[in-house]
Amino acid sequence: MADSFAVPGKKCKKDGESMVCMISRDILPVLPNRIREIIVELPGDILNQIEEIRLRQGKPLIVGLTEQDALVTPLGQVTTVPEFGYTVTDQDMKRTVQLISSSSIYAFEEELKNGFITIRGGHRVGISGKVVLERGKVKTVKYITGLNIRIAREVTGAADRVLPYLIDPVSGEFCHTLIISPPRCGKTTLLRDIVRQVSTGIPKLDFIGCPVGVVDERSEIAGCFHGIPQKDVGLRTDVLDGCPKAEGMMMLIRAMGPRIIATDEIGRQEDAAALEEALNAGIKVLTTAHGAGREEISQRPVLRYIMEQGIFERLIILGRSRGVGTIEDIIDCRAGKSLL
Amino acid sequence: MVIKIIGACMTLGACATMGFTWAGIYEKRPRQLVSLGQGLQLLETEILYGATPLPEAMEQVALNCSPEVSSLFSCTAAELRKMEGVTAGEAWERAVAKFSAHSALSQKDQQILRRFGVSLGATDREDQAKHLKVALSQIRLAVAEAEAAAKKNAIVYKYLGFLGGLLLVLILY
Repeated sequence: MADSFAVPGKKCKKDGESMVCMISRDILPVLPNRIREIIVELPGDILNQIEEIRLRQGKPLIVGLTEQDALVTPLGQVTTVPEFGYTVTDQDMKRTVQLISSSSIYAFEEELKNGFITIRGGHRVGISGKVVLERGKVKTVKYITGLNIRIAREVTGAADRVLPYLIDPVSGEFCHTLIISPPRCGKTTLLRDIVRQVSTGIPKLDFIGCPVGVVDERSEIAGCFHGIPQKDVGLRTDVLDGCPKAEGMMMLIRAMGPRIIATDEIGRQEDAAALEEALNAGIKVLTTAHGAGREEISQRPVLRYIMEQGIFERLIILGRSRGVGTIEDIIDCRAGKSLL
Repeated sequence: MVIKIIGACMTLGACATMGFTWAGIYEKRPRQLVSLGQGLQLLETEILYGATPLPEAMEQVALNCSPEVSSLFSCTAAELRKMEGVTAGEAWERAVAKFSAHSALSQKDQQILRRFGVSLGATDREDQAKHLKVALSQIRLAVAEAEAAAKKNAIVYKYLGFLGGLLLVLILY
């Protein structure tokens, strides 16, 4: 079984069954052999649901699934009894850390400070352990005892339903858009697919692709590995990976000439200033904010200020009332009414 | 008579060559150690200033260091590139084993390399710097020792080969 499974570097087809392929191409190479064998033995329906793989030293191996999580036995079966689970050893942790960093912890100091490393394929690995401080700031993480390998999915076509509302019917231009969503509701997935489509062009809507600048502070949108986007973010997209939002927006405006700037999770004071700067430069803005709805957003001072300025033309509100990524509402801010 | 002289010359030549070959082995060791030291210095630059990931760093070093020792670095890089769950320490260990088989290094020299491999890539920049420094200073000592041994032994073997040949000729003539 293992032979047909683990082929690093293999190209995967872009449809349903590719989940298994993606795990074997991107995730297995960063796992130590013992854990590789266990994951390979997992039943197919579990593999297709995996969202994260959690390794905690001395604790059972856990895979996070769409709805709940599950403990994994040494034989690759799912269980709920902690005693039956495969216990992650100190060696497993050390080995995984080395494999994730391609044996170059020294090259990931910045990443360790941020608490995660992005691996090939754009998947992020969260890190916890003993934090070492230097002058009150995080310097590095020593004794890494917890890892969370988060499998990033790409849902091409996630934006199909919203895109017709985001293009101004009169001018044919992209509207300033804010996506509001609680965590884990597909905010970034939607943002990424909007970026991909407006950058490549949308023939169905007669929208010609235009240059898009992405400021990807947490490597979530494009999932860059060595600066190369691992996700499809379109033909005319420039990505500033790991760059603070406000500075990144200014950098892009100066010389990359984007028509649209996309960024994730605004909320800080300097973000508002950068947004206004982008606006003055005639650039359209596409961004997201944490929150359950319009009311919750207006309780946060910076976001309230931005809303009061009337910067955004469209609000997309996500939820999970009918599963992850349900589009609850799309609001035309200028007219103040729902478009759905 | 002529055949006798030709035979004597050939015997003398063969023995002298033997002596020079043995001396050559002694002279090879300091040279290889110096090249290794230079290789590790290149690696230090890649790790400390370039923060280059190890597989690439090893490849870079293999390209730029003396061809005599480049196989050690390229072999480590190849082991890491396979993505078979091998850590840098293990990849280095394997490469050292392969490299030592056809090198002039002594057991002690190999030990220096092995010890250096244990922490390779597994710690932060400062710690890597320390381990590189230790390995480099040990190699420097080994070079001095090897050079002294080469000076002493190389001359001895060269003379021994030539004089041994001469003795053989005298006995047989």
